[in-house]
Amino acid sequence: MGVPFLGVRGLLHSDILTHRPDLLVQDNPFNPGEPVVVAQAIRPHVAVFHALKADRSGNAITPGHRDDLMMARAARRVVVTTEELVEGELTQRDAGENSFLPAIDVDVVAHAPLGAHPCGFGSLYDRDDHHWQAYLEAAKTDATFRTYLERYVYGVRSHEEYLEQADRTRTENLIRNT
Amino acid sequence: MANPDAYTPEELMAVTIAREVRDYETVGVGMVSPIPAAGCILAEQLYTPHITLIILDCEEYYPFPAGSSELHFLAQRGELDLFFLSGMQIDRRGNFNLHVIGDYNSPTVRMAGAYGSAMLYYMAHRVILFRDQHTKRVFVEKVDFVTGAGVTPENVYREGGPALAVTPKAVLAWDRAVGEWVLDKFQPGSSVEEVKDNTGFALSVSPTIQRNQEPTTAELQTLRTIVREKMARSYPEFVREKILVEGRRL
Repeated sequence: MGVPFLGVRGLLHSDILTHRPDLLVQDNPFNPGEPVVVAQAIRPHVAVFHALKADRSGNAITPGHRDDLMMARAARRVVVTTEELVEGELTQRDAGENSFLPAIDVDVVAHAPLGAHPCGFGSLYDRDDHHWQAYLEAAKTDATFRTYLERYVYGVRSHEEYLEQADRTRTENLIRNT
Repeated sequence: MANPDAYTPEELMAVTIAREVRDYETVGVGMVSPIPAAGCILAEQLYTPHITLIILDCEEYYPFPAGSSELHFLAQRGELDLFFLSGMQIDRRGNFNLHVIGDYNSPTVRMAGAYGSAMLYYMAHRVILFRDQHTKRVFVEKVDFVTGAGVTPENVYREGGPALAVTPKAVLAWDRAVGEWVLDKFQPGSSVEEVKDNTGFALSVSPTIQRNQEPTTAELQTLRTIVREKMARSYPEFVREKILVEGRRL
């Protein structure tokens, strides 16, 4: 939409307002005397989406009914990682029951099979509970979390190397056979 | 079907919710809400066949082209009749807390937060709060953090607000004139005393207080067959652990 702020309903007398400088209570200019919350536009520097399919121009299909388009348009730059990189041009019609991001709203596409790991992804593969458990354990202290980041984030040079660290065999077993 | 051990607390709550849905309503169920989802599907099957039912993350009950913004915008337009919310804490004045337990800056528990609940609580015509525990830690005099307010001044635009709170022990009804909960029904297996003893504020009792009717055979059968099947994909763990297979006892 590109607007600087929006009026939103509800929220009045919630403690959320005391902790959110981007939510202000103003007098409704069209109904003086009525307080209304105005929300500052959220303008992320980057939005990242993981797609089922994307083409080389940036058209992308993400699973399910989602608000990805709204989020992509809010962000200054949009990165799409994708399970499958297709030749030719994807259109809205290819999305079917899924969501479509048009190339005009996408800046960068990267091919990353199993790129949602350790989350599951649509109907393609399941969540990696084993990895999640390790992550939750690691997140308990700064020291163990640093070790986690070193192994899975800073210590790998590519998505391929990440998958090796994350046990590729177990990860590939999460893929659903449909 | 008179034995209260013959169904789970979650089944009892789902049945309780099913009886509160009104026909022709537009009903929304949010994320992580298997009990209301079960209750609403059951209602549509048995009692209110003309409802428009929206369940987030459940394909069969999702009528919109885009994401969950659609449900929020529907509510902002004043077109959502019934919605369900839960809370780590719920207080005497109908406030609920989905943010922190303890001090905001050094909480003992930090939760996921409000999402759209602080709008939906004002804009849905009726909100049923549900909680799978009825304890003094849940039902408190004053919440540590007001995520959504039960009572707001006259000049605050509000389509609706709290209607009921459903738990394994009770159904509390919202007294709008007073701005407080009233004990309306106690669940089978519980009592007025037990509910009061497990509520962290003085609870007034409705003059028409009664024991909630036990789940009927038809309700349990439908829940365990059709409802189970329709929920299985969105809530596999809930279906496996909380809805009994016909004939099995706890």
